[in-house]
Amino acid sequence: MKTILLAGTMLMSAIALGHARDLTVAQSSDIRSNEPGVNRDGNTDSVIFHIVEGLVGYAENGEVKPLLAKSVEVSADGLTYTFKLRDDVKFHNGKALTAEDVVWNWTRYMKPETKWTCAGDFDGGKSIKVTNVAAADASTVTMSIEKPSAVFLGLMARPECGYTGIVSKDSVGADGAFVAPIGTGPFKWAEWKKGEYVRLEKNADYVSPDNDGKPDGMVGSKRPLVDGIKFMVIPDASTVKTGLLSGALDTAEVSADLIAEFKGSDTMQLIVKRNNGKNLLYFQTRDKVLSNVAVRRAMAEALDLDQLVAAVSNGTGEANSSMVSADSVFYSDVQKKKIPMDLEKAKKNLADAGYKGEQITIIANKRGNVPSFPAAVVAQAMMQQVGLNVQIEVLDYATQVDRRRSGNYQVISQSVSPRLDPALMYGFYVGNKDKNASLMWDNPKAVELMKAAYIEADQAKRQAIFDEFHQLMLDEVPGIFMYDMVDIWGATKKLHGQPVWQSNTRLWEVTLDD
Amino acid sequence: MIKFILNRLVMAIPTIVIVSVAVFTLIRLIPGDPAALMLGDMAEPQQIAAMRTELGLDRSIPEQFVIWAGNILSGDFGTSIVTGEPVLHLVLSRFMVSAEIVVIAVFLASLIAVPAGVIAAWRQNSLTDLALVGTATVLLSIPTFWLGLLLLLAFGLKLGWLPVLGYVPITENWKAGLLYLVLPVMTLVIHEMGVIIRMARASTLEVLRLDYITHARAKGLSESAVLWRHAFKNAFGPTWTMIGLILGNLLGGIAVIETVFTIPGLGRLMVDAIFQRDYPVIQGCLLLVAFSYVVVNLVVDLLYPLFDPRVVAE
Repeated sequence: MKTILLAGTMLMSAIALGHARDLTVAQSSDIRSNEPGVNRDGNTDSVIFHIVEGLVGYAENGEVKPLLAKSVEVSADGLTYTFKLRDDVKFHNGKALTAEDVVWNWTRYMKPETKWTCAGDFDGGKSIKVTNVAAADASTVTMSIEKPSAVFLGLMARPECGYTGIVSKDSVGADGAFVAPIGTGPFKWAEWKKGEYVRLEKNADYVSPDNDGKPDGMVGSKRPLVDGIKFMVIPDASTVKTGLLSGALDTAEVSADLIAEFKGSDTMQLIVKRNNGKNLLYFQTRDKVLSNVAVRRAMAEALDLDQLVAAVSNGTGEANSSMVSADSVFYSDVQKKKIPMDLEKAKKNLADAGYKGEQITIIANKRGNVPSFPAAVVAQAMMQQVGLNVQIEVLDYATQVDRRRSGNYQVISQSVSPRLDPALMYGFYVGNKDKNASLMWDNPKAVELMKAAYIEADQAKRQAIFDEFHQLMLDEVPGIFMYDMVDIWGATKKLHGQPVWQSNTRLWEVTLDD
Repeated sequence: MIKFILNRLVMAIPTIVIVSVAVFTLIRLIPGDPAALMLGDMAEPQQIAAMRTELGLDRSIPEQFVIWAGNILSGDFGTSIVTGEPVLHLVLSRFMVSAEIVVIAVFLASLIAVPAGVIAAWRQNSLTDLALVGTATVLLSIPTFWLGLLLLLAFGLKLGWLPVLGYVPITENWKAGLLYLVLPVMTLVIHEMGVIIRMARASTLEVLRLDYITHARAKGLSESAVLWRHAFKNAFGPTWTMIGLILGNLLGGIAVIETVFTIPGLGRLMVDAIFQRDYPVIQGCLLLVAFSYVVVNLVVDLLYPLFDPRVVAE
């Protein structure tokens, strides 16, 4: 028997594959493309995150700080932004970053044929119109916008936009087609085996932006400390667990039910990190039953939010009824307010509303590691206590998106990916429902406050706007925000550092023991 | 023979057409908009509408079908909505991965299960028969994903003999390729053996009861000669047909195995495409599955005379 065991082990060692010091991480699906901000999803953004950088990036607390820029100056009228570029930045092909590269990238992004996801945010279609982008000199770029905006830089730094990453012109072939990203980030594009893995190589010449020696969101210290990263496509949670336990994977997102096992493991560690995403019950405020504020309020009063969050998040989450994340600089005492559980009050509200047991359906899905279904189950049980007739309809994610887009729903238990500026988070829910049926809330005052938050740059004034918005939300209950999303990851104990940030894999400043 | 093959291929055309129409219509009837999924949660309705126009999804279903069918006839299977890759290349490359696993697994399962079934029939109602039938029933009842995970845990995690993740094509590195194939193939072999053992046993039992077997025994032939020379040839026909059906079924249906063992095969491609409402890929996959069914059945029929000379391919 010993001989067989030895032979098996030797065989395995003899045929061991891969790069000696690559850090291997699981992704639930393959990337959609390697072009920043074009054909993308969350997994694509995670890979691109390591390769490209924008002029600015988000810090941990949601502030926007220079990244490829050394400094950003805004003119007194708020219409012109001057970006001084760092002089220590080189693309992965060795060429130095110039202001002309930035202008070329912006021009390319804004061309309709590029199909940049965020073009609509900057062409005047929504809140911002960029009127001019120019190279003032070899290391200075100026950008002009039509009206002042508080979110211009924040919009550019978003993952969905591919971080508005600046790539070398050599990333595009002679025919104008995008070939591969030649960025400035800590890792370089190396290999993509479709359906299997993406491999990045360390950028040995990488220089971090100014920092205090620590990683800080998209900025801070960004040293690549492993030789490469292998993003493996592993859709099955059980296989991910086996991969982690066997050492084939170094780190991966894991399901919440593995928390106890990983906590007690000798070889594995558990990484729990809150992000700015939201788990909520999304109400259709135009529904026959839910258009009545008293019914919506009764639903909120029926919930013991702390208990619900503890159960649904396996003890990792904390109740937060605000659209503002608990980690945001704008998370004030007002934002901490929530509707307290009060069953008697809930019953009274239902009676006053003339509620006669009409069915209320919560749509939920069982996708990946989001708490949509368990949150719906717990909420249903709590709401039934006050006489609400709540049913759950489980749909696949594509169908759920379709229902939300068409406005054909009563309540959806859903998760919304992180937006680091509260105004951008508002933008997901608030607006004219006649024009966009997927929006949750079209209260004129809320729309007005959201628009003000997009424009107002002064931090104290923005705080006042956010606080007023939250109070209005507590009064109107257009939805029930339950808690901020939590990233739950497993990793080998050989791994040091924080491999996840805002639901994005972030593997700079991460090391592996030999 | 050539006429027979041509006839069968022509007969496959209605099958493919019916499958095409059904797949094309049904996938469009289920809710879920590929354009909305592709653009993500921040897209405005106008952007989604523009994307639908670009993808041709704003046209009527019959109109979309006519365009798609016309393109298929000219060899253009379209491009994936999600990745922009040509569907034909995508589907064929993934099919080869699945086919590699399935063909090896069905071959090995047949190699073990057919003799086992014949022996079970020969020793009907004995302890051997009971053990084989019992084993077959248990194997048949085990869900493949559970079996796969157990094998992963045993050989990958506990013993560390076999890789738990990834895939290497045999054409790239045959040693590593074989190693990566062991667990998925073993899972399929174990599961499919159950079906084949039961089929082989049942068909052999039927033949063993016929008069010509009694006659052969009366002539004084040895049991092995009776069994393998006389009984097996006649009994193998139904089992061979069953093996063909299993092969056809597995060629398009090992998504679970591929998911558990992270193999980039056709099944996983199809499941991903369904979740993403990637219509051209779903259509391409299902057309290929239907076509492979037809081809596998044709091959089975063509090889039938080798086992049963009474059957002639004409």
